[in-house]
Amino acid sequence: MSDKLVVKNLKKTFGKREVLKDINFTVKEGEFLSILGPSGCGKTTILRILMGLETQTAGEIHKDGEEISKLVPAARKMGFVFQNYALFENMTVLGNVEYALKKRKELKKDAREIAEKMLDIVGLSEHKNRKPHKLSGGQQQRVAIARTLALNPDIILFDEPMSALDVDTRMTLRAELKELQKKFGTTMIYITHDQEEAFAMSDRIMVMNEGIIHQIDTPKNIIDNPADEYVERFVIKNIKMKIDSLIQFVDTDKE
Amino acid sequence: MLKDRKITISSYVKIVLAIFWIFAIILPLFKMLSNMADVDVAKIVTSERFATALKQSLTVSTVATLVSVGIAGLLSWCVARTGIRFKGIFSVLFSIPMLIPSISHGMGLIILLGSNGILNKTFGWNINIYGFSGILLGSVMYSLPVAYLMLLDILKFEDSTPYEAAEVLGLSKIDKFFTITLPYLRKPLISVFFATFTMIITDYGVPLMIGGKYNTLPVMMYQDVIGMLDFGKGSVIGMVLLVPALIACLLDIMNRDKGNSAFVTKAFKVKKNIFRDVFAYIVCGLVAFLLILPIATFTRVAFVEKYPINMSFTFKNIEKAINMNLTDYLSNSVIIALVVSIVGVVLAILTAYYTARMKSKFSRVLHMLSITSLAIPGLVLGLSYVMFFKKSFIYGTFAMLILVNTMHFFSSPYLMMYNTFGKLNANLEYVGKTLGIRRLFILKDVLLPMSKETIIEMFSYFFVNSMMTISAVSFLATMDTKPVALMITQFEGQMQLECAALVSVIILMVNLVVKGIVFFTKRRMAR
Repeated sequence: MSDKLVVKNLKKTFGKREVLKDINFTVKEGEFLSILGPSGCGKTTILRILMGLETQTAGEIHKDGEEISKLVPAARKMGFVFQNYALFENMTVLGNVEYALKKRKELKKDAREIAEKMLDIVGLSEHKNRKPHKLSGGQQQRVAIARTLALNPDIILFDEPMSALDVDTRMTLRAELKELQKKFGTTMIYITHDQEEAFAMSDRIMVMNEGIIHQIDTPKNIIDNPADEYVERFVIKNIKMKIDSLIQFVDTDKE
Repeated sequence: MLKDRKITISSYVKIVLAIFWIFAIILPLFKMLSNMADVDVAKIVTSERFATALKQSLTVSTVATLVSVGIAGLLSWCVARTGIRFKGIFSVLFSIPMLIPSISHGMGLIILLGSNGILNKTFGWNINIYGFSGILLGSVMYSLPVAYLMLLDILKFEDSTPYEAAEVLGLSKIDKFFTITLPYLRKPLISVFFATFTMIITDYGVPLMIGGKYNTLPVMMYQDVIGMLDFGKGSVIGMVLLVPALIACLLDIMNRDKGNSAFVTKAFKVKKNIFRDVFAYIVCGLVAFLLILPIATFTRVAFVEKYPINMSFTFKNIEKAINMNLTDYLSNSVIIALVVSIVGVVLAILTAYYTARMKSKFSRVLHMLSITSLAIPGLVLGLSYVMFFKKSFIYGTFAMLILVNTMHFFSSPYLMMYNTFGKLNANLEYVGKTLGIRRLFILKDVLLPMSKETIIEMFSYFFVNSMMTISAVSFLATMDTKPVALMITQFEGQMQLECAALVSVIILMVNLVVKGIVFFTKRRMAR
């Protein structure tokens, strides 16, 4: 697999506060990378800088070997899925997916067709003429995903897309998202503060705290070889506790 | 490329907005302030005439505020907390007095209770309405709808859970009132008191009509400026009138920012209680009757031969008024109101877009400026405009009246738009960025369609208020640009009470039509 995205010496300060301190990482073509960390650790800032919604204080971003950090967001060929869906409430589901396509000369002609195909993929064809507020949270997030997929981005960035959903919906959507990734082969970067989610979905996980990367590795390697005390204490302990309580629960159930 | 162009457009608009605000509010007010440098302020303030007017203004406004808020509180409780029917109809009846100039309330009272008043004659009473009691009654009628709507809004959003908890704990009604109701209502209630007080103390329509020898500050200011062209004295009184309005504005800002919490509240469930409901019917019916009575009376007088000598029905006052150029003045008013509505709505959208959707230092300044116009009474704004624009080309044109009305009525609609824009998802513009859609398109295709109801509400607010205002425009209108509401003072001065009544009826009709259109448009949209 080739390098899709290379981030070099990324720094960001807000006033005197250093939010990102020298961030370096690489994402491979077709990879699913999670960024895991508590709120305020700088993970959303990374995502917004990658997209171009925020400007870095220093550092470079290369996509397919090209420096992109001077480009406007739309020119980066990336998609962004927001935590609170941010749908166009006045438009129908179909209208939401179609809108950006219609604004592009080269896609205008096929806008309807592409939009319908995307809604079919996320399983919302039957709701296409409804307004977003008539849908459940999970369905609304699917609309947002379809809206992003429609422009066929190279990389999709997810900013805690499931944090407002209930556990059941989250489980289904997780599986669906993995399916989509397989189908399109799109590179995905996924932000979460939920260890379970990160471990269940990712090819690799990037563990962050206070603007520093503590470890980037596969879920298995992180569990087997935690890089430092932070990873050990806050990530692994947590995951192990969850597993233990599940085992206990299964055991007591047997008795 | 894309980025650079967008930034320049936005900064051009910012510069234009900044210049507009400087010329429309800041410089005129400074002009008025600087005018006071040539005046012996101490002499004016210590004069007996001023002291009396100040004392009387404070006295009658305080009493009227207490009565108005008291009755409004009772009415809003009846509508929000009892099981009576026809709540919508009652609300409409309570709001109708908002659609006519304050001076018309004074007129209605004179026709009923003046020296030749219908009630006095019919029942052989000998009530003297001129002076304190007249101003009190008129001010209550004029301010009641506004106080009622504010209080209804507060009661509607009060949370019922603390009351349920109190019930579980077995607290008495009195305990509940002091431990739950009062603490919850304290802050908004202070706001309502000051807003009502400001409205009453800065009004000159009611006291001008019915005040008799009971002089108040706005009337004194009006007479000094219009009658004696004493701008210096007018400025001093204007500054005094700014004080309560500024306090009201500050209180409002303080309360608003904290009150914006998005708690989940539980609405009140009205329990069955026949005695309470009968009481509520009586209160609502009585107040509605008393509010509508003067309006109905002047409507009747608009169609009599000669009040009070010959009360037979006639249409000849219409002819008489038309001979006095009624149609010209009416079309003046409609044109002014329409243009103010359009300009005001566009300005409010533009300003709110910068303050609610593009947060920056500039937007905070703009927001403060936009709310301060709430604190400037019409008379004061009008006077400052006379002084500032007197020698400019815009003076004496329709543009002058349009500008002064737009600024005078700007704050409330602006705040409606600000709140609506603020509630829309903060990421919409970012979504646009990631999908390659320009900000302008997001505004046009998403934000504005989602704010349709607010836009219609703003339009109606600007229109109705421009139709009936007599404060700011009274200093600025010329023979050619005079709005129809000012004919009321003119006719009244000429002892043509029937024609003055007719003008009030016409204003009421136009405003009712506009409100009706707004109501049905909103209902159609909701479907």
